[in-house]
Amino acid sequence: MDIVTPLVIGIMLGGLYGLVALGLSLIFGVMKLINLAHGDLVILSSYIAYALLAYLGIDPVLGLVISIPFMFVLGFVIQRYLLGKGFAISSETPLIIAFGISLVLQNLNQILWTPLSRGLNTSYSAMSFFIGERQFPLSYLLDFMAGIVVTLALRTFLTRTYMGRAITAASQDGRVAQLMGINTNRVYGYAFAIAMGSAAIAGVFLGMTFPFTPTSGISFLTIAFGTVIIGGLGSMVGTFFGGVILGVFQTLGGCLFGPASQMLIVYVLVFLILAIRPRGLFGR
Amino acid sequence: MPISARDNDTVLRITDVDVFHGTFQALWNVSLEVRRGEMLALIGANTAGKTTLLDAISGVLHPARGTIEFEGKDIGGLDPYQIVELGITQVPEGRRVFPDMTVLDNLLVGSYAAGARRKRAESLAIVYDLFPNLSERKKQVAKTLSGGEQQMLAIGRGLMAHPKLMLIDEMSLGLAPIVVDEIFKVLGKIRERGITVLFVEQNVNRTLKEADRAYILETGRVVLHGAAADLRENAKVKKAYFGIDECEAT
Amino acid sequence: MDGKHTIRTPIVASLVIAALAAMPLAGAPESWLLYIFLFLIYLALANMWNLLAGYAGLISLCQPAFIGLAGYTMTVGTWVGIPWWIGLPFGILAAALFALAISGAVFRLSGVYFAIGTLVVPEALRMVFYLWRPVGGKMHGAGAGYMVKGIGDISSGSIYWLALLAAVGSALVVRVILRSRLGLGLAAIHDNERCAASSGVNVFSLKLYTFIVAAAVTGFAGAVYYLYQGYIEPSATFSVKWTMTLLLATVIGGIRTEEGPMIGTVVVVFLYFLLARYAGYSLLIQGIILIFIMLLSPRGLAGLARKIATRPFMMRTGPSFKGRRAL
Repeated sequence: MDIVTPLVIGIMLGGLYGLVALGLSLIFGVMKLINLAHGDLVILSSYIAYALLAYLGIDPVLGLVISIPFMFVLGFVIQRYLLGKGFAISSETPLIIAFGISLVLQNLNQILWTPLSRGLNTSYSAMSFFIGERQFPLSYLLDFMAGIVVTLALRTFLTRTYMGRAITAASQDGRVAQLMGINTNRVYGYAFAIAMGSAAIAGVFLGMTFPFTPTSGISFLTIAFGTVIIGGLGSMVGTFFGGVILGVFQTLGGCLFGPASQMLIVYVLVFLILAIRPRGLFGR
Repeated sequence: MPISARDNDTVLRITDVDVFHGTFQALWNVSLEVRRGEMLALIGANTAGKTTLLDAISGVLHPARGTIEFEGKDIGGLDPYQIVELGITQVPEGRRVFPDMTVLDNLLVGSYAAGARRKRAESLAIVYDLFPNLSERKKQVAKTLSGGEQQMLAIGRGLMAHPKLMLIDEMSLGLAPIVVDEIFKVLGKIRERGITVLFVEQNVNRTLKEADRAYILETGRVVLHGAAADLRENAKVKKAYFGIDECEAT
Repeated sequence: MDGKHTIRTPIVASLVIAALAAMPLAGAPESWLLYIFLFLIYLALANMWNLLAGYAGLISLCQPAFIGLAGYTMTVGTWVGIPWWIGLPFGILAAALFALAISGAVFRLSGVYFAIGTLVVPEALRMVFYLWRPVGGKMHGAGAGYMVKGIGDISSGSIYWLALLAAVGSALVVRVILRSRLGLGLAAIHDNERCAASSGVNVFSLKLYTFIVAAAVTGFAGAVYYLYQGYIEPSATFSVKWTMTLLLATVIGGIRTEEGPMIGTVVVVFLYFLLARYAGYSLLIQGIILIFIMLLSPRGLAGLARKIATRPFMMRTGPSFKGRRAL
């Protein structure tokens, strides 16, 4: 039985999962908030890319020049005026507000784009490449590479810039970070904005790999959760590896137990990790 | 006790301040003065409200009544980061270094405020000079440091903000006397640089030896204040904190 | 809140319940009965979610698991000769046992981890029931759905009354629990869990009892729903849509208030039918309402109503501060 093909596919797919989950992991690590709207925000980016492609003929990756700043600002606004205010009320409020945002996005997308599935079809998104005799989709490889690039970029940002260090500090001890002169409100806004920037990238690559609908957000949210749980919080690299592990489990599981049980294997894995080591494999 | 006549340069003036934690009142009618360049001690038992007072100065809490003035400016309603920019930094109780960041990163975060950031190279040099062992452990992750080293890191981090006034909360907690001695020596050097120090302690004896002046807090109120030397002789202090009764003493 | 109300409320409530019960007999139109039926089912579910999330601090996202398990138990029972009215109690039991079974794992998780853990459970069950055919035969295509057998001669009135029972039962359960020692313990936990634990409150068992009870009532309501619908299949049953509706109803109405779920369910069902033709708009509006409510009146419409009602009697409770206020 050929396990090399599913293994390679699993690794590449895992790269996409990691890419999708990075933003969620960052926000969770910094603000201890599960952004229930994360999946839908990623899909929003997919739809924006779709609009740019369908109506203006702009290549999705190039379109990031427009969508990243847009999502950045959107993220800042959401944090500053919605979620941030929610934190002052109680610790459950931001979760529920995020849920509300998720609802709004899903249905907005449904109204604008109909429930029909869409895809970002470019000249290269359907191509394949070969390793030896085995054929793989090119988009998977692009996803994996994008995942690595964004992971490293975020890691560098967090460890080498003042804002990045401030975000890291605020995530480890918010009150003391304030005592250091860090305006935690503003820092959280930037953290969320950056997470949205990475979500923008994730949405584009996701759209080039799989068809998406307004409700795809939930499925990818679950996968992102799984990735964050497995990989652990507070570590961008850990999250990326978590994605790869999840991807490999999924494809190998599907190979051994049949395609229908792929996600089931993943859920079992997530549940196990939650039960045994909630911190995740690489978490603090 | 009358306020001393030599009221030269008051850096921080707290007047009739009430502070609440939610609906619970922690400080009642507290007034306090910090003079430039001095070592002022805040003494009291656990629930006396010392940390609450520091938090009020740092902007983490806001006074419900009364004013807090720093160099003549009312800072009562400001956010913590604004107060750091003005030149007050707090070394919190329990060290609270950022556990998963390196020593260097901890120090750099300390200089986050815009004004401090520009002077960070200079501040780093000063910190390494005062704490040579921090310089040796630049890349070490903070949670692996010993208690004493963490305290030094916390103080160094506070210095990185280029402060005029440093608030230090219970630095001797859990540390060996030798280490505490070292830290007091460093505080002395910090004073020599012109930085005013307000420190909070439970260890009365040691504190009154090091401080110029002291305030004693009990359940949220100032019960006594004055020059450290005077307080050491004060009968009430002796009884309450040293357990010496005038009649029992020789 | 008490005083006059303690006498008024049960009287008003009994009248309302009697009126609702009489509707099928009075020949009310089918569509009305349908609206009210849905309201009753959602109310039961919302009351339980409020109990879990609002009072016990358990933001449970696995309600669909209980709904589905109870429904499937009853339905599969009808395929092996167990009539629905015996299968239904077994369904409730199944839901409760399942809650007990997963409690060991999920209760070790706190806060957000609990929410994630419970989110995964219905998804996993959906997969399980998609792949597993407990009894032979299938509905259509490759689906894993089952018709509920032997319900041809039940009047819609009976099903309606079962729903009424579920709704009233849920309200009673909430009321009884809140006024019992269990409720006292839950309030202590809500206030400060560590303090409660060190005062001798057995945090784990209290949460467990609440979880199991909520699962049972949720299962009951769910099974009745499928009794009405006549068939059950995995993707709609174990769907996060249930959770969304419950969350909306509870929060809009006012989480951690007794009357909140009722108000919220009215709003949700009303919007649902008002905008049934415009598929996405109803949920879109609900999402926007949800955000506004959370920011402006965190205690929901019930909290808003309370504020308005007690305004002349409000005293200044003290200065306001930046920082956290407890919900």
